Amino acid sequence: MSFSISNISYKYGPEQELVLKNASFEIMPGQVTAIVGPSGCGKSTLVSILSGVIPELMPNGVFEGSLEVAEDVLISVVSQSPENQLFGYGVEDAISFGIENMGLPNEEIVERVEYVLDLLNIQHLRKRSVATLSGGQRQAVCIASVLAMRPDILIMDEPVSSLDPNGKKMIQSVLSLLKESGQTTVIVDNNLDWFADIVEHVIGLIDGEVVFDGGKDVFFNDFAIQERLCVTIPQEVEIYLELAKRFPGLNKFYSLSEAKREITKLIGPAALDLAICQTAESAVAKQAESAVAKQAESAVAMQAESAVAKQAESAVAEQAESAVAKQTESAVTKPDESEEILTARGICKTFADGFHALINVDAGFAKGKVISMLGQNGSGKTTLVKHLNGLYRASKGKIFYRGQETTGKSVAQISKDIILVFQNPELMLFEETVLRELTFCARAQNNEFTEETALAVLEQYGLLAQRDEFPVNLSMGKKHLLTILSVLFSSAEVIILDEPTLGMDLHLKSQLIDIIRQLKDRGKTVIVISHEIPLVFRISDEILVLNEGVRLIQDTRQVLANCDELFARISISLPPVVLLSKYFGFASLCCDVDSFVREIAVRSTAEIPAAGLAGGI
Amino acid sequence: MGDFLQYVEVDSFLHKLDPRTKFVFFIVMSVLTSFVKSGAALLFLFVIFLAVWLTGHVGKYILVLANKVKVLLLFIFLLWLVLGAFRINEGPVICRTAFTVFQHPFTFSLEWFDLYKGCVFSMRIFLMISAFYTVVLSTNFSQIILGLRSWRVPYALAFGIGLVFQIIPIIVKEFSTIMEAQSSRGLEVEQCGALAKMKNYVIVSLPLMFRVLGKGHSISLAMHYYKLDFKVRRTSYKVIRTTYRDAVFSVVFILATVVTVFLQVRFYIPL
Repeated sequence: MSFSISNISYKYGPEQELVLKNASFEIMPGQVTAIVGPSGCGKSTLVSILSGVIPELMPNGVFEGSLEVAEDVLISVVSQSPENQLFGYGVEDAISFGIENMGLPNEEIVERVEYVLDLLNIQHLRKRSVATLSGGQRQAVCIASVLAMRPDILIMDEPVSSLDPNGKKMIQSVLSLLKESGQTTVIVDNNLDWFADIVEHVIGLIDGEVVFDGGKDVFFNDFAIQERLCVTIPQEVEIYLELAKRFPGLNKFYSLSEAKREITKLIGPAALDLAICQTAESAVAKQAESAVAKQAESAVAMQAESAVAKQAESAVAEQAESAVAKQTESAVTKPDESEEILTARGICKTFADGFHALINVDAGFAKGKVISMLGQNGSGKTTLVKHLNGLYRASKGKIFYRGQETTGKSVAQISKDIILVFQNPELMLFEETVLRELTFCARAQNNEFTEETALAVLEQYGLLAQRDEFPVNLSMGKKHLLTILSVLFSSAEVIILDEPTLGMDLHLKSQLIDIIRQLKDRGKTVIVISHEIPLVFRISDEILVLNEGVRLIQDTRQVLANCDELFARISISLPPVVLLSKYFGFASLCCDVDSFVREIAVRSTAEIPAAGLAGGI
Repeated sequence: MGDFLQYVEVDSFLHKLDPRTKFVFFIVMSVLTSFVKSGAALLFLFVIFLAVWLTGHVGKYILVLANKVKVLLLFIFLLWLVLGAFRINEGPVICRTAFTVFQHPFTFSLEWFDLYKGCVFSMRIFLMISAFYTVVLSTNFSQIILGLRSWRVPYALAFGIGLVFQIIPIIVKEFSTIMEAQSSRGLEVEQCGALAKMKNYVIVSLPLMFRVLGKGHSISLAMHYYKLDFKVRRTSYKVIRTTYRDAVFSVVFILATVVTVFLQVRFYIPL
C-alpha cells in the first residue's frame, strides 16, 4: 500500500490565495514521516486533505490535483487536543467509539480494544475515566482509539504540544512501539527535537510548496533547509551546527552519545584530562600548569614554529573570549542581590475537594530577572502564578508586591503591576483587529501609547500586514505572540508567561526570546512557565522547581545545572549542553549552545599545541 | 462550580444501577411531583430522595444544587405567599387587614396555610429538579447513550443528548478560564458597578463564543476521523444488564410511589 499526492493546489475560496501550491509527495508504507514547515505554511490544510475533511466537511474550496490512493485505505488523525477528540466517559468507551461506528461484531471490538491496550501498554488505564487522565495518558488513549480502527495511515497533528516531559516520554515510547509494529505514521510537528530518533522521512513545506522531500539523514545534513523551515531541531544538532562553523570536517552527530564521541575527538583525550584536572584541587592544577608551561617554553625555544605561534595566539584570543563570556555568565547568574519585587511567603492552597495544590511555598522574584518555573503537570506551577496575580486566594500565606500585601485588590488592579499571559491565546483574544488587540492592555489600564509605537511593534514582529485582520484568524503561534506583545503596552513590572512557546515555530520562538530580553532590559521581571528545558536554561537567571505542590529549590541556572539527583527525581532531563559540559568536566557549566561552543573552541585550540608538543618532544 | 451539572464518579449502589432503571425513576418522579400536592406526601418523597442521595454518596452535590436553586425556590415560595395573601383561607391567621386601593376593597390575609402552600410548591420544584440531577450525578454520558439506545432511541438523538452532558462541564470550565484570562490582563469584573460588570461579561462572551464554535468544529472533525455515520448500523462494546440491585431499587421505588399516592389521597388539602 502506498499513498501519494500529485500536484495538489488548494484555496479555501475562489477569491482567496492558494494555501497549497502544486504539492506532490509520497508517504512510504511502514515508515514514520514528518511534515514540517513554519507557522501558516499549509500543514493543517494538508492534514485536512489527507484525512478527507477537505472536501467532505469543507466542500467550498478550490481543489486541483489528485490523491493516488486505494478506495479502502483508512486514514485517521490524532489531533493536538485529545479532549476535543475523545468521545466516551471511560477509557474503554473512548477506545471503542471508532470501532463501534464501523459496525463490527462485539467479539471483534473486544479483541481490538485488548490489542491496542496491550500494544501501547495502557492496560492499567482501562477502568479510568478520561477526565482523570494526565495529558500524556489522554493522548495515548486517543492514539489507541484511532489505532483500534486499524488505519492504514495514522496522522498525528502536534501530538505533544501541550504535554509535560513525562507526557512527551510516554508518547515517544508509544511512537517507537508503532514504528516497530510497522504502522505507517505521519507526524505533523515543527518541533523535531522530540521525535528525531523515530522519524525516517521528512517533507518540508514553505508557503504551500514542498521544498524538501527526503530521508532523515539528508534532512539533518541540510542545515539551510532546516533553518528555512524554522524547524526546532535537537540541541545536539544545534551544537553540531555551531561547532561545524568553527571546525570544518567535524563528523555529524545527532545524539548525546554521538556528540560525546565526536567532541572527544575534537578536543582530544588530553584536553578531556586537562578539563578534569581543572576541576581538581588548585595545587595539582598549578603543578600541571607549571609542567605544561615548562614544556611549552622548551618547545617554543627548540622549535619556534610559526604555525604553533599562530595557534597559541588563537588560543589566547579564544581564552580571552571565553573569560569574558564566563564573566558575563557569572554576572548574570550570580546569586541575586537586587531588589526582590514580588514575594510569595508560605503559600498553601487546598482546593474544595481536599487536594493540596501548594504546600508552604516560598518564592522570591527579583527586579529585572528572568525566573523560570519547572515541574511536571500538576506540580503547582500554574496554581502558584495564579496566586501571584490574585486569581487564587491562598488558604495560608501571603503575596507581597514591593513589600505590600496584594490581598484585597482585584485581579484587574493587580494586573497593573503583575500581568499573567495564559497558555491558550484563544482565551484572551476578543478585539476585532490585531492592532486593537495589541493595545488592549494599554487601554484597559489607561496607559498612554501612540499608534506609531504600536505599528512599529507590529512591523518588528512581522504582524503589520495583518494589522486589520481578525486576531482569531491568525495561526496559533502568531496568536500567542500577539497576546505576549500586548503586555509590552502594560504598566506591569512583573510579566508572567505560562507556556509561551505553545504553537510557535523556531522563528517565533526566537522572537519570543527577543521580547523576553527586551522586557528584562527595561527592568521588568519575567516569570516563565515552560516545559522546553533547553529554552529555560538559555533564558533564565534563576529557576524555581516545584514538585507535587512543594518548592524543591530556587537558585541560579548554574546551581540547578549541578542538581542531577533533583532532576532525576522530577523526571526531567537536563539540556544536552549541560550534560555535555559535565561530561567534559567544564568548571563552569554551559547553559546555552553559544557558550558551550566557545568553551569547546578554547579547549580545542589549547589541545592543538599540546599535541604538537607531544610530537615534537 | 467545577463539579456542577456533571457525573460524579463514586462507587455506590446508585451508580451501579442500570441507567434505564434511573431513567424510569426520573420519569416517574417527574410525573409524581407534578401531580402530588400534599405536604405529607412530598415530605415522604423527600425522605425517600434523602435515602437515595445518602446511598449514592451524592449528598454534598445536592447541597450544591440547593445552593444554586435557592433563589428560584425562594421566588416560588414568595410568589405563592403573595398570591395567597390576597385570598382568605381557613385555619390560623398570622396577619389580616382590610384596605382600599382606588376605591377597590382588598383584604390582606396571611395565614399559616399560605406558608404551607409556598413550601409545597417550592418542594415540588426542588424534588423535580433533584430527580433529574440525581440521574445526572450518577449516570455518565456513555451510560446515558447506552441506556437510550437500548430503548431504541435513534443513535443520532442518543448521541446528541450524551454529547450535551459531555460538553456542558467543558463550557462551564471554559467560561471560568476566559474570565480569569481577561481579568488577568486588566478587565475589571470584581470591583465595579453592576452595569460595568454586565458590559464586561458581554465582552467575555465573545471569546467564549469563539471557543464554543471551535469546540463544535473540533467535535465535527473528530466525528469524521472516527467515521461516525448515523445511517450506518452501529454495534456496541459494552452491554448493559439489569442486576439484583435494579430489582431491589425497583421494589423500594414502587412501594414508595404507592405510599406517596396513598398519602396524597389521604392527606390532600385543596390548594
